Amino acid sequence: MEESQDTVKEARYLYSVAWTGHIAQLGSIGIQENNVYIVPYKDIAAIVHACEAKAYQTEDKKLAEGWVLEHSYVIDQATKMFGTVLPFSFDVIIKGDDDVVKDWLCQNYEHLARELLRMQGTAEYSIQVYCDHAYLEKLVLANNRGLLDLKNSIEKEPKGKAYLHRRNLELKLKNLSYSEAGRLADQFYSGIKPLVKELKSESKTSWTPEKYRDKKLLASCSCLVSEEAVKRLGEVLEEINDKDGFFVRFTGPWAPFSFVRLSEAG
Amino acid sequence: MNPERESCLVEVLDRLLNKGAVLNADLIISVAGIPLIGVTLKAMIAGMETMLEYGIMEDWDKSSRELYARAETHLPLFPGEQILYKAFGYLREDEGLIKCWVPGIWNITSQRIILWIKTPGKVLFETPLQNLRVLRVSASHEVRRELELIYPEGRTRISLSERDEFEQALAGATGAMVAIEV
Repeated sequence: MEESQDTVKEARYLYSVAWTGHIAQLGSIGIQENNVYIVPYKDIAAIVHACEAKAYQTEDKKLAEGWVLEHSYVIDQATKMFGTVLPFSFDVIIKGDDDVVKDWLCQNYEHLARELLRMQGTAEYSIQVYCDHAYLEKLVLANNRGLLDLKNSIEKEPKGKAYLHRRNLELKLKNLSYSEAGRLADQFYSGIKPLVKELKSESKTSWTPEKYRDKKLLASCSCLVSEEAVKRLGEVLEEINDKDGFFVRFTGPWAPFSFVRLSEAG
Repeated sequence: MNPERESCLVEVLDRLLNKGAVLNADLIISVAGIPLIGVTLKAMIAGMETMLEYGIMEDWDKSSRELYARAETHLPLFPGEQILYKAFGYLREDEGLIKCWVPGIWNITSQRIILWIKTPGKVLFETPLQNLRVLRVSASHEVRRELELIYPEGRTRISLSERDEFEQALAGATGAMVAIEV
């Protein structure tokens, strides 16, 4: 089996799977201006370009980044044409010709169609809530009389004692800020849950814009949101953003990268 | 507040390289023969140039591809051979640098006993049921629930938490061939 696979030189680079039963061309919008087209099976289709059976690899970072942006562009265009698509990661390549792609669609039709149906009329959005460190401490101190007294007394204490007490205060503040942040995050998640179809909280973000770098990340999540709920979600986030000390970053719409489940396909 | 679609490269990279519907390994193998996920590219963009410089990721990428290319997706069986029982367990590895218990799925088929790991699909141990004897290892090892397999080429120790069921399945598969010595 391996031998026959190795002789296959032709392959298809897979961008996404969409609802559409018609043969269509998307033009030369693919990676390295490859012609992107669809391979339909029943009412679904794979969006592909023809390539050699080897992965896109380069040591030129700029070139690599360009490829990824081109991949992303194809997914965006496909979404415009066909509605929500199932986006595939970079460099997923199926060895073989259109018939092999069609076979794959056929074998996984039920699962792919189910996922497409689940994603229909939705998009992925990314939300990060940041909070001023100082504001968080202020919140903690306001709710903790003992700690506030300790803070006030330090100023009048002799140097050595003040040092120890300051260390103690910092430690306690750090711990309490941590649990306060957790409480606020829980509050935030339970507030937006009714507005989203699915929510995945993330413990870290891939990138923090400059203006949030000195802030504490309270919550970060990707949400699958239906078209009609986006406006309301925006309003809720705006309320939070308008509060003192809180900052919300709301990006999207993205193809449902974080929510497509293909592990059952096979 | 309206969502922004910032064309932030890092975010796009994160979604395309770390998220997205990655085909699972089984599927890639069944369709493509070799998983063509650009590990090297991913590593580079993720800022691991140093690792690349020293060839670490490339070697790893290459070897993992080779591994997956060789790997079987399903336990390979002989014609007419059937799986009769499966249970998670261990195999005692006494040779090599480190003595250890290797985990996997113990399969009793109509012809063999096989320890199989799914990722990457690989047979770690197999022996025909014919001429096999199984010995229950003494009570001092009761925590681990060990058995000793004795076959013409040698003997090896295995361990299963569901040892009783395994013994029953083995007795069922071999008829009178295996005598379990308590």
